[in-house]
Amino acid sequence: MATVPAKQNPETPAETVAERFRRLEATWLAEVGYSSSSTALRSHPAFQEIIQLGEAVVPLMLRDLEERPRLWVWALPPITGADPVPECDRGNIAKMSAAWLRWGRDHGYQW
Amino acid sequence: MVRPIEQIFPGLRGTAYQVTSPQDEAYNCIAWAAGDNQQWWWPDEAGQPDSAHWPPGVLRVETLDAFRQAFATLGYVVCNDDLVEGGFEKIALFALSGRPKHAARQLSSGRWTSKLGPMEDIEHELHDVTGMVYGSVVLLMKRPIPN
Repeated sequence: MATVPAKQNPETPAETVAERFRRLEATWLAEVGYSSSSTALRSHPAFQEIIQLGEAVVPLMLRDLEERPRLWVWALPPITGADPVPECDRGNIAKMSAAWLRWGRDHGYQW
Repeated sequence: MVRPIEQIFPGLRGTAYQVTSPQDEAYNCIAWAAGDNQQWWWPDEAGQPDSAHWPPGVLRVETLDAFRQAFATLGYVVCNDDLVEGGFEKIALFALSGRPKHAARQLSSGRWTSKLGPMEDIEHELHDVTGMVYGSVVLLMKRPIPN
């Protein structure tokens, strides 16, 4: 009796959240990475899609913030609903990054 | 092979521009032109968790006048040319379709330094970053070099 060969999955392996995050980051920087407009950077579709990835990307962002100040400080408030940055430090990306790292530790994140 | 920066700013191709810093998201071009490498300057909405720095008292709108006023808080006044002038430092504002996009600061050599958004600083000739990203120079300002 003839047997039907096992069907091979033609799809590529599913993209992990981390891979999708890095792909979107690369798109974002390639398309608006030379802009100084915080409005343009934040409203870019790739940046908005990163925000839509939700809490799963928080440790990835915190890991990046540990390396150097990053503009993820603009994505973390809409993802987490938190606002750990003192008003006097808004605009200071290094101090904002430090405040988010403290917040991450206080809330049990590991990265 | 054309470097990514030269794809964005084709005017840099074949020129003696130099990348003078690593990528740094701590400050942007407006801050850098203002002599600040600690903050991100932009007139976005105030009072939000992600608000950028903008000089108090200056309207937070993306207009040339608001940017002129922002630099005026640092002692800059409008000037007519981009020539080196002893005792003064100059900044140039770029705009596209009337909207401010970029600022550069003149060095004592007569060349200009620009921070490219969250990317690197470069040293270049003023008009070599003109194009579809930053537009062109629409305003020049100067102030006495602070002691």
